[in-house]
Amino acid sequence: MERHDLIVVGAGPSGLSAAIEAAKCGLDVVVFDECARPGGQLFKQIHKFFGSKEHKAKIRGFRIGEELLKEASDAGVQVVLNATVLGLYQEKEVLVRIGDEIRHVKGDAILVATGASENTLAFPGWTLPGVIGAGAAQTMMNLHGVKPGERVLMLGSGNVGLVVSFQLLQAGCEVVALVDAAPRIGGYGVHAAKVARCGVPFYLSHTIVRAEGTDHVTGVVIGEVDKSWQIIPGTEKHFDVDTICVAVGLSPMSQLLTMAGCDMADDPKKGGYVPVCDETGATSVPGIFVSGDVSGIEEASSAMIEGRIAGIAAAKYLGYVEQAAEENEVHALETSLDALRQGMFAPKNRGKDLRETEEGCPISQNLLRKGYLSDEEVFAYPGVRKIAGVHPVIECTQNIPCNPCQDACPKGCITIGENITSLPVVNPDAQCIGCGMCVASCSGQAIFLVDEDAGADTATVTLPYEFLPLPKAGDKGQALSRSGAPLCEAEVAGVRSAPAFDHTNLLTIRVPKAYAMRARFFQPMEGGCAEWANQWTVPETSAPSFRGPMTIC
Amino acid sequence: MDRSRDIGPFVPGPDDDLLICRCEEVTKGEIRRAVHAGMWTMTEIRRFLRVGMGLCQGQSCTKLVKGIVARELGVSPATLDPETSRAPMRPTEMHVLGDEKKEA
Repeated sequence: MERHDLIVVGAGPSGLSAAIEAAKCGLDVVVFDECARPGGQLFKQIHKFFGSKEHKAKIRGFRIGEELLKEASDAGVQVVLNATVLGLYQEKEVLVRIGDEIRHVKGDAILVATGASENTLAFPGWTLPGVIGAGAAQTMMNLHGVKPGERVLMLGSGNVGLVVSFQLLQAGCEVVALVDAAPRIGGYGVHAAKVARCGVPFYLSHTIVRAEGTDHVTGVVIGEVDKSWQIIPGTEKHFDVDTICVAVGLSPMSQLLTMAGCDMADDPKKGGYVPVCDETGATSVPGIFVSGDVSGIEEASSAMIEGRIAGIAAAKYLGYVEQAAEENEVHALETSLDALRQGMFAPKNRGKDLRETEEGCPISQNLLRKGYLSDEEVFAYPGVRKIAGVHPVIECTQNIPCNPCQDACPKGCITIGENITSLPVVNPDAQCIGCGMCVASCSGQAIFLVDEDAGADTATVTLPYEFLPLPKAGDKGQALSRSGAPLCEAEVAGVRSAPAFDHTNLLTIRVPKAYAMRARFFQPMEGGCAEWANQWTVPETSAPSFRGPMTIC
Repeated sequence: MDRSRDIGPFVPGPDDDLLICRCEEVTKGEIRRAVHAGMWTMTEIRRFLRVGMGLCQGQSCTKLVKGIVARELGVSPATLDPETSRAPMRPTEMHVLGDEKKEA
């Protein structure tokens, strides 16, 4: 029977990372993946990742995937594609289908990194064509270049729902609403803010009542929910849509581990039924390891570190690494992993209603319910300072593990410090030269360059811009507020693109001085985004009102 | 599990005709009735109704079914054991499954 030192199931970020580390330790490693392409979900991730340099922050997901594949091939990892693992039996025997052939392969150690599958939600009409998972929408857009629909409603305000909503806008779809039954937005505030300033209304404490249509989706009705998640009669709202995107969480695909006899536990904080494992990913069955989403839903960044840890642990289990060396390497990786598991969105803080940041700043309730900071709230944070001349305005208001802005500034204008979840602080004494490196380096697109002294009555605002067609200097349009409402006329003063910006263009608009701290997006007069114009005629004051308790700080 | 526990009578619901398992076309009402017919575990429900035994192998509906069964029994979904995991994990044609590669 074919045998290998280590069989890895799943060639996603975690499985590849594990395979790389194990191969570097000298193991003969084979990776099986059921897909035609390696990389798991990484190649669908066109946004820049969070974290610090060691976590590959500000690098786009698919580039990280390319790096991993190269690293794996350099390390001598054998990746077998279209290889579906159908079973995991006693004595670490794997049943794998490769093409139309069934093979039995034995591993001295097994690492299961099968990831997770999308959850669904059953509502009347959910089986109509046009109701799709957010992951499916991402696959269509980012892998195959197919627009999932024209008018989309997104259900789910976690990072997946927020990121995919933004990508739908980038693909030229209209996102009519972002809906979540929870009272607060689940994902990063910065992800919500970049969707909100494109004019997408957020409906928290709302869910889908029904999808409409006979042979495909033609509309959707949402309604507000009470504390027991029941629809409050009379709150129903209708939208004409052709696509409903569902992003209501992920479930670990842990069936292989159940089959292998590993101890399992149902842990809602980890997303469902997961194997019981130690910090190196070792399960209750000696020689069977796990890493990534299959052992608990987290971000891809943590999945990659977990993979590296499990790869080294598997090498040690097979005697390829000395105890001391293993402990050193694993310890360093665990420190790195721990840094990612801090802050407001850390696993330990899930579900908590935090009111203050680590610095004692109030957490914006507008941001949590509507997706954007109010014009007043924004001044409560250390990244927002009134400074003469051009300077960065950092609208980063939640403790998330991320710090590329600090390294991006050549002039020392931005400080985060040792703790990467701290809010960035703008130093009023440092001399900003307006280079825009911070704007392009912010994975959350939350940094703007503001110059209130750019002209007699005008100010300039430089914002990150990832839409096509790219406006050019002299173009006229409207400046939009943080909520996406039109504020005033604006003229493009300049557009900067550079390889170092990695496709985040710096769009500088000129607006009346009074709008310098309010204008946060640009809507060209005509062109790619013109079809949204109707949506943006709604004045800011008529934004959807909410019945629930709301604190405006 | 205390099978003598009284879970009350089956009360028809307005969304009983909602399709839950798309592959095997099983409705919410059928799942709820099955609980009242004595199918109290995920494995029993699966064998009784074939939920999760179709093309997607329960990838879409397992969590939904678990929620419905748990609610009918008045317990938390986390207390219900999952159904038995078995090869093949993915739908596989018999002519493929039965045609193992011969050892060289």
